[in-house]
Amino acid sequence: MKQPYTPRPNSNRKFVGGYRPRIDAWEKARGKVEYADDITSKTRFPDMLYAKVLRSPHAHARIKNIDVSRAEQLPGVVAVMTYKDPEFTSFRPTNAGWTDGVDTVSYDKKMWADFNDRRVLGDYACWVTDEVGAVVAAESEETADEAIRLINVQWEVLPFVLDPIDAMKPGAPLIHPDMTQTNVLPPEKMGGEDVFLDKGDVDADFAKAEVVVDGTSIHHNATQASLDNWCCLVDWTDEKLTLYSNSYEADQSRMHISEMLGLPQHKVTVISSYVGGQFGRGDTGEQPFFLFTAVLSKKTGHPVKFKHTRRESFHDSRQPAIYYGKVGAKKDGTITSMYFKSIGNTGAYADHSIFALKFAPLEISEVSFAHIPNVKLESYAVYTNKLPACMMRGVGNSQFNLIFGHMVDLLAEKLDMDPIDLCIKNFGHEWETLPNKSLVEVLNQGAEKIGWREKRNKPGQGPIYDKTKRRGVGFSLHPAWHAEWQEVRRGHIPISITLNPDGTVILNAPTVETGTGSNTCNVLGCSESLSFLGVTPEMIHWNHVVNTDTSLKDCVQTDSSVSYLQSEVIATAVEEIKREIFERAEPVLKTKAKDMDIVDGRIFVKKNPDQGLTIKELLFQGDLVPIVVTRSRLANAEKTGVPYFANFAEVEVDTDTGKIDVLNLVVINDCGTVMFASGAEAQQVGGQVMGMGEALTEEIIYDELTGVPLNFNFIDYKIPTMADMPEIDPILLEIWKGAGEYGACGIGEGTLTCTPRAIMNAIYNAIGIRINDIPIKPEKILRALGKV
Amino acid sequence: MPKSSKGTKKNVATPSPDIKIKINGTWHNFELERDITPTMTLSYLLREKLGYTGLKVSCDEGGCGACTVIMDGKSVLSCMILAVETNGHEILTIEGLAKDDPIVEAFAEQCEPGYGTALQCGICTPGFVMSTRALLDENPVPTMAEVKEALSGHICRCGCYAGIAQAVTHASEKIAKKGEAS
Repeated sequence: MKQPYTPRPNSNRKFVGGYRPRIDAWEKARGKVEYADDITSKTRFPDMLYAKVLRSPHAHARIKNIDVSRAEQLPGVVAVMTYKDPEFTSFRPTNAGWTDGVDTVSYDKKMWADFNDRRVLGDYACWVTDEVGAVVAAESEETADEAIRLINVQWEVLPFVLDPIDAMKPGAPLIHPDMTQTNVLPPEKMGGEDVFLDKGDVDADFAKAEVVVDGTSIHHNATQASLDNWCCLVDWTDEKLTLYSNSYEADQSRMHISEMLGLPQHKVTVISSYVGGQFGRGDTGEQPFFLFTAVLSKKTGHPVKFKHTRRESFHDSRQPAIYYGKVGAKKDGTITSMYFKSIGNTGAYADHSIFALKFAPLEISEVSFAHIPNVKLESYAVYTNKLPACMMRGVGNSQFNLIFGHMVDLLAEKLDMDPIDLCIKNFGHEWETLPNKSLVEVLNQGAEKIGWREKRNKPGQGPIYDKTKRRGVGFSLHPAWHAEWQEVRRGHIPISITLNPDGTVILNAPTVETGTGSNTCNVLGCSESLSFLGVTPEMIHWNHVVNTDTSLKDCVQTDSSVSYLQSEVIATAVEEIKREIFERAEPVLKTKAKDMDIVDGRIFVKKNPDQGLTIKELLFQGDLVPIVVTRSRLANAEKTGVPYFANFAEVEVDTDTGKIDVLNLVVINDCGTVMFASGAEAQQVGGQVMGMGEALTEEIIYDELTGVPLNFNFIDYKIPTMADMPEIDPILLEIWKGAGEYGACGIGEGTLTCTPRAIMNAIYNAIGIRINDIPIKPEKILRALGKV
Repeated sequence: MPKSSKGTKKNVATPSPDIKIKINGTWHNFELERDITPTMTLSYLLREKLGYTGLKVSCDEGGCGACTVIMDGKSVLSCMILAVETNGHEILTIEGLAKDDPIVEAFAEQCEPGYGTALQCGICTPGFVMSTRALLDENPVPTMAEVKEALSGHICRCGCYAGIAQAVTHASEKIAKKGEAS
């Protein structure tokens, strides 16, 4: 029997932090919730057409000539358009920087303004399957597919490069020669210079340090693999345009459609229903298919649907990164210098690579390396002709943790020190003295749960099981994100509470429901705030469909922080709700507001508690107009640091076959405040599937001779199933506390950040040989053991 | 061979339908080419022609389990079966389950500490529920190894396998209790 977590003493929460089903659990279990593909089915839009786009068969090519006449003649084809049509030539070039911000931005203010490398429909392809050249709209999907096959393209096939190191060499094929004369993305204002942090003097310190270690680690192109393939339907058959999509942001979609198509915002409606998994998917340039689908709808006078096949939904991936790390320390374990350098394979388009390679490590250094006098960070994002890469469940953090946890393990071994003690001694943020309480508790509880002291042997020196198997344990540690102070750039967060005359509540706290559990967190937060009215979670309706015509601006599902951000705003609305209630009660109770109180939904006179009435009695006496309070505020900027989280792994490696069995995973998150325990544990347990997949089995494989990706399907891209997963122990802690009513922090993305490194350190502990490029497949084990 | 459908046989003026499929307890008649083309999958027929959108099509090639329905008591991948192949057969989709189906309830209710919920984004859930239904119909008290074997054809990218396994165990207990009660 597993144990529930222990809440912070005296927190006295009624609803927040509870174990309970999600608010949408019954609808989801019954298959009743509708995703984009469901709300855009043929039964709903009988006159809709299907769009398809031409895809490049070459890793690098330019269209010399295109002939669409045979496609146009195919019965059932309604429109064929090419990059030469004025609708497409008039589009401004764009990039991912204004579709994946947490805030809504205009074209002029979008991130990565220096990397406008995307075209809505161009003549130039930078990777195999790049969307290029022509689009069709037809009466059926099969006809649209057939029409694409009938398009005759004369390609100018260009030399290509897949490896970032090769792409950096002089004379390498240039991926975007119109923009840059090197494949390395130039320094720009958001990410900074190539050396983007240089504190103290690492070189001088390495020269005099008592102990120095260095090493590398390699992270790859894992993909988000949401089962809900990209899908949209655009109805632009009159002057108003309506987009149905499974993008995770509605307001920003409206902004970019409005600006790209020159439509006023009130003529653009974006409707986002449930999304079947997000995981960072979405940095696909400016989601060009929204725009070419819109153009096709306008051209044909029909609603047009565009949906990726599963193969086409291999469209985004995690930013691969080759990291080099070097650390200097004193013999007592005091770290005096840290240096990290990365080379990232950014793929065909820049997208948010700088976020992963510079932004994230800079944030990590701010909240973890503050007590280390010499720190240098350096990075190069490199264009290649591979799948574009960037955002995936924790931008840049898994990659950085892979080298960070490696350095910790290496240094601890060289110092003959427990790596747990090494972490406690060195890491924390600048607003505190060490040791960091959160870090200490996270590591101690993880160690106890996995059995660290009993199971940790000298590397490769543990007992042998079944003649050929060795076991080991390892861990990795990381700072959490995001606390509220890190969310200020998000801009105002609006919410609205409607208190119905019967005392029930409509909560307008829009965010696209992607499965994270933030919907339940915020309903619990709302009932907690309104518990003085006797409101329970069951009395709150939360609208799951974001419609930009009627919803407030959606709080974008990034940074794992929607789970508490809206609740913090809701908490600040309570006084205003009380004020309105007292205002309405004044003539009824004939008492001044200051002399009234409300407990459990009953308003009464303080001096004479018998004189009072329920909220329903009050509102039913009046005009039956609900009380509506709308609040909007920025995140609290008070710098509070962040808590920590860690993963511990126990593995068994068969030295004969190279097979790795993960026996146990322990996931420990200090949440500040647990908003919704069952949801938080689901994130902890669930994240291990992705983390273990990235560590051991998931990998996109290319034909190196052609650049053709070979496994864009769920048979050959190996996602762990129920049969593959080990026992997982989720541990929730409430040690650190941020600013605000709850002072929570995000955990969803972080739950898998440490998993690959924890498994890698456990493998080293088992067999005594380090393998530092993931996924660690059996052949890599056998190669390392000298058996192949 | 197609099972007979009394309602249509009485009407001698219209030719007997080419294809009959019993879906969620009701026989449906289809005309070949007009309603069902030879290459049409069962998942397409159910979702796009009949509006049973509870089943999801993600990979469309038998790799994820999201489109699972029950055919003649066995769980099948509806994206891997041609609609014409189901002539004369019985199909159960998630829409055909009772509102208080113990498996649906167990998936919805799972919040036992230490395992997380049995669903997050929910897109894989109908597939898991249908496979669980087929499993428990055949084997009401499966071992954990049997549960894992039966459900390992499904992908849950949110990773709720531990919660799902608990839900299956609880569903099995609910069914046993219902059996005792009746």
